[in-house]
Amino acid sequence: MIGWPALNWFVLGFALFLSFGSTALAGDWADAAVARKTEGALGLPKLDHPSDNPPSAEKIRLGRKLFFDRRLSLNRTMSCGMCHIPEQGFGNYELQRAVGLEGRSLRRNAPSLVNVGYYKTLFVDGRETALETQFVSPLIAKNEMANPSIGYVVELVKSLPDYEKKFEAAFGGPATLQRIGQALAGYQRSLIAANSPFDQWKYGGDETALNESAKRGFALFSGKAGCSQCHLVGKEDAVFTDQSFHDTGYGWMREQERQNPPTTQPVEVSPGVVFHMSRKQIDDVSGPALPDLGRYEVTQDPADSWKFRTPSLRNIELTRPYMHDGGFARLKDVLAFYNGGGAPHDRQSQLLRPLGLEKSELADLEAFLKSLTSPDFSKLAEEARVEAPDNW
Amino acid sequence: MKFRSLKSVIIGATMLAAPSVAYADETCQSPYMPKITGEEEFVYVWTLGKEGIGDESDKLVTVDVRKDSDTYGKVIGSISVGGRNEAHHAGFTADRRYLWAGGLDTNKIFIFDVHSDPGKPTLAKTIDTFVKDTGGAVGPHTFYGLPGRMMISALSNDKDHGGRTALVEYSNEGEYIATHWMPTAEDPRGAKIASDVVDGYGYDVRALIRKNVMLSSSFTGWSNYMMDFGQMLEDAEAMKRFGQTVVQWDLHSRKPKKVMHVPGAPLEIRFAWGPENNYAFTTAALTSKLWLIHADDNNEWHAKEVADIGDPASIPLPVDISISADDTRLWINTFMDGKTRLFDISDPHAPKQIYEKVIADQVNMVSQSWDGERVYFTSSLLAQWDKKGESDDQYLKAYDWDGKDLKLQFELDFYEEGLGRAHIMRFGSGELYGS
Repeated sequence: MIGWPALNWFVLGFALFLSFGSTALAGDWADAAVARKTEGALGLPKLDHPSDNPPSAEKIRLGRKLFFDRRLSLNRTMSCGMCHIPEQGFGNYELQRAVGLEGRSLRRNAPSLVNVGYYKTLFVDGRETALETQFVSPLIAKNEMANPSIGYVVELVKSLPDYEKKFEAAFGGPATLQRIGQALAGYQRSLIAANSPFDQWKYGGDETALNESAKRGFALFSGKAGCSQCHLVGKEDAVFTDQSFHDTGYGWMREQERQNPPTTQPVEVSPGVVFHMSRKQIDDVSGPALPDLGRYEVTQDPADSWKFRTPSLRNIELTRPYMHDGGFARLKDVLAFYNGGGAPHDRQSQLLRPLGLEKSELADLEAFLKSLTSPDFSKLAEEARVEAPDNW
Repeated sequence: MKFRSLKSVIIGATMLAAPSVAYADETCQSPYMPKITGEEEFVYVWTLGKEGIGDESDKLVTVDVRKDSDTYGKVIGSISVGGRNEAHHAGFTADRRYLWAGGLDTNKIFIFDVHSDPGKPTLAKTIDTFVKDTGGAVGPHTFYGLPGRMMISALSNDKDHGGRTALVEYSNEGEYIATHWMPTAEDPRGAKIASDVVDGYGYDVRALIRKNVMLSSSFTGWSNYMMDFGQMLEDAEAMKRFGQTVVQWDLHSRKPKKVMHVPGAPLEIRFAWGPENNYAFTTAALTSKLWLIHADDNNEWHAKEVADIGDPASIPLPVDISISADDTRLWINTFMDGKTRLFDISDPHAPKQIYEKVIADQVNMVSQSWDGERVYFTSSLLAQWDKKGESDDQYLKAYDWDGKDLKLQFELDFYEEGLGRAHIMRFGSGELYGS
C-alpha cells in the first residue's frame, strides 16, 4: 500500500496538473460514468436511481456543465464546483468552513460529494431527502450563490444559448426546475469511488491488498473501538454510515468554545513563524460566530441538539478537514477525540466512551482509514475538468 | 515594439531626468505616464459599496483638493457602477486619459474617462468578460499602464479560488491581448527558482524600464481575500495559502526569469526613481518585514529583508506604501494599529523608522504628492477584512507634511457621506490635458 504522503501528493499533483494543464480523456467519459452508476464498484452496493430519473450520459454531461457554471450565481462568481473542488475531493481542504457569495461565511465545511448518491438524507443535518431537490438550497442561500429566486435561475438557464441543445438531448425539451435538478443529481450520483485496498481485501479476496497494520486497524474499527456501530460495514459491501444522527459531543464542545473562546490565538504567518494574537485583535476583524445545533434545526426537537449525520469514511484521507465544521485538520486529531470518548455532556450518545487505545492501536486505525482511498478518485477530477468552467 | 511609443519613452525619460522640478503628482505611478506639473486638483477614490450605506454600490468618488476652491475637501462627484464588486485598485492608462478600476470579486473592470472633464469622470466602458478572456484568471488587481496597453495582475483562478493566477494584458481600448500564468513548480516557464519556493501567486506588478525588469509579488486567492478576516486568522489551513515569492520578469518578452523567496505575503512593490537606484521595496504583510529587491553589480536580482515594521509579533499588518520622489523616504501604513510610519531609506540596505502617527482605528492606502508635501490616507483594506463595529472608520484624510509632522487639512467620513469603504486614491488635474 502506498503511504499517505506519497499517495496524497501523487493525487494532488496529478489533479493540479489536470486543473491547470490540458485534459484528454480516452473514450466518452459520460458513458463510463453511466456504467459506474449502473454496475457499481467493488465494496459499494448498486446505487438506487429514482424511477423518474434513470441515468444517461446526456444527463451526466449536462449535470457536469451546470455543476461548474459560475454564471448561475447572483454575481457570476460561484458555482457548485467552487466549493466542491474536484482536485480537493469534491470538497475544499484549503478552508475549514466554506466561503460563499461576497465572502459570506458558512458555518460548515464543504463536504466531499464523492459517493454522495449513497446518502439517504443530505446536508449534515439531513434536511434534504433527494439530490433532485437538494440543489435549490445553495442556489438561493444568501451566503452561498445568492440567486434572488429559483425561478430566476430556471429562466437564466433557459436564456443561455449553450444549454438549449443539451437539455433537448438529455430530456427532449427545454430547461425546467425539475430537469435542472435531475441533471445535477445525475452527475453527482456518478461520483463513485470505491475499489480501495480495503475493498480488494475484504470483498475482492486479495489478501495482499491490505498491510498488517491496516488489518489490525480494521479489527479495532469493528471491534474494540466500536467505530462500526455507526460507520457500518456489511458482508457484501460497506457505505460506512448508518444514515443516522448522533451527538458525539463535538457540536456541543464547539458551542462551548464559541461562547468561551481562547484569550489568544496562534497564527502561523509564514511557514514555521507563529505569533499569538489577542482575542481583541481577532474580534476587531471578526463577524459574528453563529451557533450550529445540527439536526435540531430541522426537527426543533431539543433531543436532536448537536446531532449530525454519520459521514461515510470512504476516501477520508483525501477529504480533510474533518467534522461538520472542519475543526480537525488531521485524522490523528479525529482519532484522539474519539479515543477520549468524544466530549461528554448530558445528551451525548451512549455509544461513545473513552476507548483507551494505545498509540500503536491509533496508528493501526489510521492505517485502516487510509486503506479506504479509491484508486479511481483522480479519475473523477479528470472527468470534471473535461471542459473549462463556464464564465461570462 | 508596438507598445513602446517614442512619445511615452521621452515622457518617461524626462520625468526620470528632472527630479528637482517641483512636480506634484503622486509618486507610485507607472513611469510611462505624464505627470501633473502643478498641485493635484482632484482625488479619485475607488470606493466599495456596503449594505446599508447609501446606494450600497461600488463607486468612483471625486474629491476636490484645490485649496482655493469653494468645494475644497468636499465630494464633488460620485459614479455608482452597480453591485459590490470588491472594488480595490485602479490605475491610469499610460496616456492618462482613462482610469481602470477593478473588482476583485466579480472580475469586472470599469474604465472611467478622466480627461474629458477631470472634475467629473464618466464611465466609458465595462469589461465583464475578464475570466473568460483570460482562460480562468480571477481578481484583477494592479492596473499598470504600459504604452498602448494595460498590464493587470490577477489574484486567483476560476477552478478553485486559490492563489494560482496570472498577469494579463489588455489594449487601452479594452481588448484582451494575453495571459501570462505565474511560474509554478510543475511549470516554472523557464524561471530560476532561487530558494526551492514557488507558489504561482500574484498581487502587484511594477517595472524598471531601463533594466527591462518587471517584478510581481504574491498575496492569496479569492477564498482568503473574500473571507471574514477573523475567521481566516483562526483557520490554520487557510493561513497556509499566502504568497511567499517575488518574481522577476523580462519586461519585453513577459517571461519569468527568477522566483525569489519573500515569505509572509509581499504586497505593494515600489521601484526607486533615481537613475542609478536599481532596487524596489516591498512589505511582507503577515511577517511585518520590509524587503529590498535589488540588482547586484552583475545585474542579478536578489531579495533581502532590511527592516522590521513595528513589532512583527503583534501583527501590525503593513499594507500600502509610498516612496518619495528623491528615494529617501517611504511611508508605510499598518492596518491593524491604524498607524502610518515614515522610514528613512537613504541607505536602502538599512532603512530606519523616523516618524509615526496614528491615522485612525484602521488605515490602508497612502498616496503622497511628488513634492512630498501632501499625504492622503484612506481606510478600507477588503470588505471582509475591515474592522467591525465602531472601529470600522471609513474615510479620506488629507495631511500636509512639513518634514517633521503630518498636519490634518481635511477629512471626509465615507459612511456619513453615504459612500461606503474608501480604498485606492488616484490624482487628477485638468492641466494634464491642455486647454
